[in-house]
Amino acid sequence: MKQKKTLLTVISIVVLFLGVYLADQNLDSYKMRILNLCAIYVVLGLSMNLINGFTGLFSLGHAGFMAVGAYTTAILTMPDVVKGQNFFMVPMMKPLDTMHVPFFLALLIGGIFAGIVGYLIGAPALRLRGDYLAIATLGFAEIIRVVFTNIQSVTNGALGLKGIPESSNIWWTVGVATVTVLFIGSLINSSYGRAFKAIREDEIAAESMGISLFKHKVLAFTIGAFFAGVGGGLLGSLMGTIDPLMFRFFLTFNILLIIILGGMGSITGTIISAFIITIGGEALRFLDESMTIGNLVIPGISGLRMVVFSALLMIVVLFFNRGIMGTNEFTWDRLFAKFGKKPLAKGGSKQ
Amino acid sequence: MNLLKVENVSMIFGGLTAVKEFNLDLNQGEIVALIGPNGAGKTTAFNMITGVYRPTIGRISYKGNDITGQRPDQITKQGIARTFQNIRLFKDLTVLDNVLIANHLHLKSNFLEATFKLPRYRREEKRILEKSLSLLEKVGLVDAQNEKSSSLPYGKQRRLEIARALATNPEILLLDEPAAGMNPKETDDLTEFIRQIRDEFHLSIFMIEHHMQVVMGISDRICVFDHGVTIAEGNPYEIQNNQKVIEAYLGVAEDYA
Ligand SMILES: Nc1ncnc2c1ncn2[C@@H]1O[C@H](COP(=O)(O)OP(=O)(O)OP(=O)(O)O)[C@@H](O)[C@H]1O
Ligand SMILES: [Mg+2]
Repeated sequence: MKQKKTLLTVISIVVLFLGVYLADQNLDSYKMRILNLCAIYVVLGLSMNLINGFTGLFSLGHAGFMAVGAYTTAILTMPDVVKGQNFFMVPMMKPLDTMHVPFFLALLIGGIFAGIVGYLIGAPALRLRGDYLAIATLGFAEIIRVVFTNIQSVTNGALGLKGIPESSNIWWTVGVATVTVLFIGSLINSSYGRAFKAIREDEIAAESMGISLFKHKVLAFTIGAFFAGVGGGLLGSLMGTIDPLMFRFFLTFNILLIIILGGMGSITGTIISAFIITIGGEALRFLDESMTIGNLVIPGISGLRMVVFSALLMIVVLFFNRGIMGTNEFTWDRLFAKFGKKPLAKGGSKQ
Repeated sequence: MNLLKVENVSMIFGGLTAVKEFNLDLNQGEIVALIGPNGAGKTTAFNMITGVYRPTIGRISYKGNDITGQRPDQITKQGIARTFQNIRLFKDLTVLDNVLIANHLHLKSNFLEATFKLPRYRREEKRILEKSLSLLEKVGLVDAQNEKSSSLPYGKQRRLEIARALATNPEILLLDEPAAGMNPKETDDLTEFIRQIRDEFHLSIFMIEHHMQVVMGISDRICVFDHGVTIAEGNPYEIQNNQKVIEAYLGVAEDYA
């Protein structure tokens, strides 16, 4: 039974990559870019859902962790020449100016740095509850951004980094997204995942059942920050340029929108919603541009798209506050149950 | 053998002394009840023992170690588990998950072993599942294992909370009004059930209960609180005939009238 489900999971991953291959062959670069973004937002959404949805911590620090990952990955992959071109105002700090590692390693180190920052922020901030945690994490994310704007010899300050090797491609993004889904899915389905959910459901009861709140909150927060850093690294290398302004609260808001729409505490929901929001965001791009209706030319209102997004978020929160999936997941068992087959042994497998 | 020792413990909230100079000796295998009118400070006494509140004054020791002011999870890990007066189940989670969660405190595998399902974790998880199912079997909830815990009727939720507390492997079990909201049949069963788990899990039990039939039926000793003060202590016979207790309760009876 169990092997059968594992086999099904393996088969679907193979099918997924077959799909990626076909898409890579047939779609134009604009469409591929959107697909890449979707996959990256799956990583980012899951990492935030681990913290906010599964563990129930109201954290708004995601853009900060992403910035750490994005800058680390960029700095570790940019060729010396490009670094020289970028840092024309203030020369780059040694030995960073000649340092580089393969893309995969750079992503990993970016994730680890983000995880460390997450741990350092989490240790004091996670003693706060609810809204206070949100304010503190939001503040920390902003501090990270301000620091990055000011340590010019490392980050090139407000000028940002241009010419980041675009190592990221659909194989990387979908690959990392798959690994993230499997990792977080498996973590959530373990005893640790149950402890996270217990904290979300009732902190007092969880603590009375012997679960150390602090230890588990910091753990979820650090793992979430790690994946946020990896996602940030992927995003930077997809864009080719990064600067501190990219990592404003707006970015966190976007990811928050994904997890709220998908369902706080649902991996399946996050995946679906990452696609909806990313593709929807692209489709709504016309809102920011000037429009011509008949003879009437309406000048572009930049930010109109954001207004639509915010309205969407409000509608979801007000009327469908459990999102698309609530805390439900797609499992093979459910699928079989739907098609009237005898359900397999209890305890569904993820993916 | 003495397990839990509470010495001169007081809890003061602002100007209100919720519990005043409370003393308790709980011995291995005993069932001690704590009774008293509403607002007498009973739950506050529980909250101090389990680490939810740090006592303003006094000392609590468990097996000779000072546990005053430790965190609830640290205290539970050492062997003191509890249930709550207003049931605190993990509502959105299944009956089985509720019990599984209470095994987490003894898990040895780290999160990577758990995520990658390495052999040690798989062994532990298997043991946890077997133990949890057998606990559910004992409280008669094994058929409801995949139901959402909040969908259970009240009496069963209380039983589930007890099963969840038992999953932490306690030596002392604190029950805060276990019969509250139960029908007469369930209440009868409960008395027997408490005795049964005491014997099977070698527990010492300290319980708050309003239901006199339950209290008188199973307690070795009874403490009576009134306005935070211990006004009487003794065996059920002594308590039933204690003038102060009768007065305290008659006073309450009038309030209800
Ligand atoms: N955290 C708190 N802050 C302030 N006052 C509190 C707090 N917790 C309890 N109290 C007060 O302490 C007193 C005792 O409350 P407690 O809950 O211990 O009573 P109880 O004996 O359990 O009553 P009941 O039978 O109604 O459960 C009450 O007056 C209550 O309002
Ligand atoms: Mg009470």
